[in-house]
Amino acid sequence: MMSAAGSKNRQMFWRIVRRLLVANRGRLLVILLALGAGAAVTAALLNLQVDAKRRITTEFRTLGANVIVSPRGADAAAGRPTLDEAVLESIPKQWEGAPVRAVPFVYYVGHVRRMVREFTPPERVVLVGTRIDALHAVAPGWKLEPSTPLPLTLQVNRCIVGARVASKLQTALRDNLEVGILPSAVLPDGREKDYPGAFGRIAGVVTTGGSEDDQVFIELSALQKLAAEDFAFPLDRVNLIQVSVPGAPQAVERFISELSRTLPNVNVRGIRQMTEGEGKIYSRISGLLTATVLIVLLLTGLCVMAAMTNVAMERRNDVGLMKAIGGATRRVFRLFLAEAALLGLAGGLMGAAAGMVLSIWLGKQVFGVAAQPRPIVYPVAVALTVIVAILSAYPLRRLASVRPASVFRGEA
Amino acid sequence: MFLRLVADSFTRRPRRKVLTAAALSLRMAVVTAALSVSLDVGDRLASEFRSLGANLLVTPEADSLPLDIGGVDYRPVNAGAYLPEADLPKIKTVFWHNNIIGFAPILGLSVRGVSHAGDDEKGLGEDRGSWPQVSLIGTWANHPVRLADQTTWNTGINQTNPWWHVVKGRWFSNAGWECVVGKNLARERGAFQNGRRVFSGIPIGDNFVIDRGPSAPPLFLKAVGILDSGGPEDDAVIVPIAIAQQFANRPGQYRQLYVSALSKPEDDFARRDPATMKPAELERWMCSPYISSIAASIKEVLPGTDVRVIRRVAEGEGTILRRVRALLWMVTFAALLAAALAVGASSAASVIERRTEIGLMKALGAGSGTVGFLLAAEQLLLAFVGGGIGYSLGIILARLVGQKIFGVAPAPSLLVLTAVLALAAGVTLVGSAIPLHRASRYEPAPILRGE
Repeated sequence: MMSAAGSKNRQMFWRIVRRLLVANRGRLLVILLALGAGAAVTAALLNLQVDAKRRITTEFRTLGANVIVSPRGADAAAGRPTLDEAVLESIPKQWEGAPVRAVPFVYYVGHVRRMVREFTPPERVVLVGTRIDALHAVAPGWKLEPSTPLPLTLQVNRCIVGARVASKLQTALRDNLEVGILPSAVLPDGREKDYPGAFGRIAGVVTTGGSEDDQVFIELSALQKLAAEDFAFPLDRVNLIQVSVPGAPQAVERFISELSRTLPNVNVRGIRQMTEGEGKIYSRISGLLTATVLIVLLLTGLCVMAAMTNVAMERRNDVGLMKAIGGATRRVFRLFLAEAALLGLAGGLMGAAAGMVLSIWLGKQVFGVAAQPRPIVYPVAVALTVIVAILSAYPLRRLASVRPASVFRGEA
Repeated sequence: MFLRLVADSFTRRPRRKVLTAAALSLRMAVVTAALSVSLDVGDRLASEFRSLGANLLVTPEADSLPLDIGGVDYRPVNAGAYLPEADLPKIKTVFWHNNIIGFAPILGLSVRGVSHAGDDEKGLGEDRGSWPQVSLIGTWANHPVRLADQTTWNTGINQTNPWWHVVKGRWFSNAGWECVVGKNLARERGAFQNGRRVFSGIPIGDNFVIDRGPSAPPLFLKAVGILDSGGPEDDAVIVPIAIAQQFANRPGQYRQLYVSALSKPEDDFARRDPATMKPAELERWMCSPYISSIAASIKEVLPGTDVRVIRRVAEGEGTILRRVRALLWMVTFAALLAAALAVGASSAASVIERRTEIGLMKALGAGSGTVGFLLAAEQLLLAFVGGGIGYSLGIILARLVGQKIFGVAPAPSLLVLTAVLALAAGVTLVGSAIPLHRASRYEPAPILRGE
């Protein structure tokens, strides 16, 4: 008996809710639109925010390397210290899901001369041995012409010359150079000894605006070979390794401490210019993103609240009638809360789906790469919308004070 | 009669109108805050990016190639060209002088020196010859520059390289015989060579003594601070540029100048070669604070120099700024849209609510135009009041947000006020126009009967 009455009650309850929802199609549309738009923007922003922070930290790597691995400076007095090239293998290739790029560098003061028709007098320059094809990974801001260095051939070394070296030597792409560490010298017996350099062909010209404009980059192995011939210098040594670690400043910090733990014999440090500056900028940008999500949530809430206020105004007669025929205030409330929750759910489900699609498009517009849809964002956005809808039903509280008699008399 | 009707509608149900205006102003406050912050964010972030350091490098035009490894120039002091320090204040006379937030000349060289407690010159001779090479970087720190309007402006390496921290002590004074010691040099105690202590570290208060060979007496510099730069400077001694000049025998000259300037991210237009531009385009290029046009204006006042854009900093800054700006504008647009929807919906509702009133007016002989005009006037009044209050609330909100994120509040701007008022007016009108249009087709009789 009890249960039959209960099920009847429930049936009636949902019937009234259904009627409430579809009674006024226009209003239903406005509320659904408000909730849906809110849910869409919230879902899009939440998804984008997760993605944007990661993308921004990836963008930071346009600034180039942010970590340097160098020898311990104990023997700094005895020439420039070196470290074993094998260290390169101990640097992780991945860090917290993003690729880590590491490029070794060797520096020597040497000379170059142009070999077109005749030799030009040798020009003293800083020779940099590195991996030419990997250069772009640690220095994406550099302007290389052509944008990918000419390919390697078996016969010649390739080199990339700084823009100012190129203009000083008046060389162009594909010209041949002689690259050496020591210029020719006069031997004790008076004869001129020629220290043979290596032949190189210009595979690219680099403009950086910094000291690299005055340098000549050649393949690491070629410079190591020259150094070994000239100084009997051990092979497989490098002066430093530049590492480009993507990720938030904290992730970079973790990378540095992890690497200095695995490589106790070398010095691993962040390039302060980058780490410190990026830290500041990152905290600003992530603050901005959080603020914008809050603002949009606030606006959604206000939007739904406005719609619900209208509902409250419109429902005075209904509530008056319900109360007159014996509806308890609490039950009437439950009725409206159920309506709000249903509306929130419907608006949220539709809006959040639209928002996910929107965020993919937005990501494409802002970062050039479509934002990854994150499944977790969808339920979160729907839940937020339902909560906002229920909270916005607050104006309905005023219905508690409705006096059936005055409503029926038509008093405002 | 018209005004009386409008006034009546406001005074008869004040609570209702206050509520509507309050809701409207809340939304407009949020919009104001979003707009003010987004308008301001470009400038704010651009100045944050200056913590990445200088974006322009000035070097002599007719120079031999510098042999720079890890910040030390391996050229002898007598090789290469120099630039006159006396020209530097001219940088603050260029068109973009307000965008130039700092500059520092550099004269670096390698010296032999030793740490030395007290002023006693005895004992120096014994160690002579075994001292290591130390790089000496002459520059400015908090250096006063006299400007054309007779005010002084302080600049130096502490502004162009904000990641150089003096962790202990202070920066040197520009006139004194003082120096700031890199943290590795300050700490490095007891490095031995052939059983002799060759370098003992330079704690604050010690003298750093530069050996000038047999012909000249050594220079005594008092260490007043310890520098932590996280770079090769940690192994160097930083001195006022005058001392480096004296040692290099190049009075009043420098080799490199770092300039830190606020700039607008470069677009395709900025990347074009100014030589190929038409006069009107050239003018537009000169009048936009692109880093390349700032470089060109500096080159104009410093003859014989080569002003280069440090691409690593400028490119990265440009990309990130563009991305963040695009993101924020989209978000602001979304906020505007959400607010517009809310305002439109509530003004539509307020018209629907007054259907009986509209019916009565029409029954008494008012045309649809008159009724529409009356309601529009009411909505507009509401929009301006709500928009105005919302603007003032929004400015406070924007101040809070700006202060929290950037530590600087965005300045109230007339543009935002206009935009907010226009948005409020436009959206309320559009929102009420739709139900009004429907109301104009109503027959008064059924409405009055309550059907």
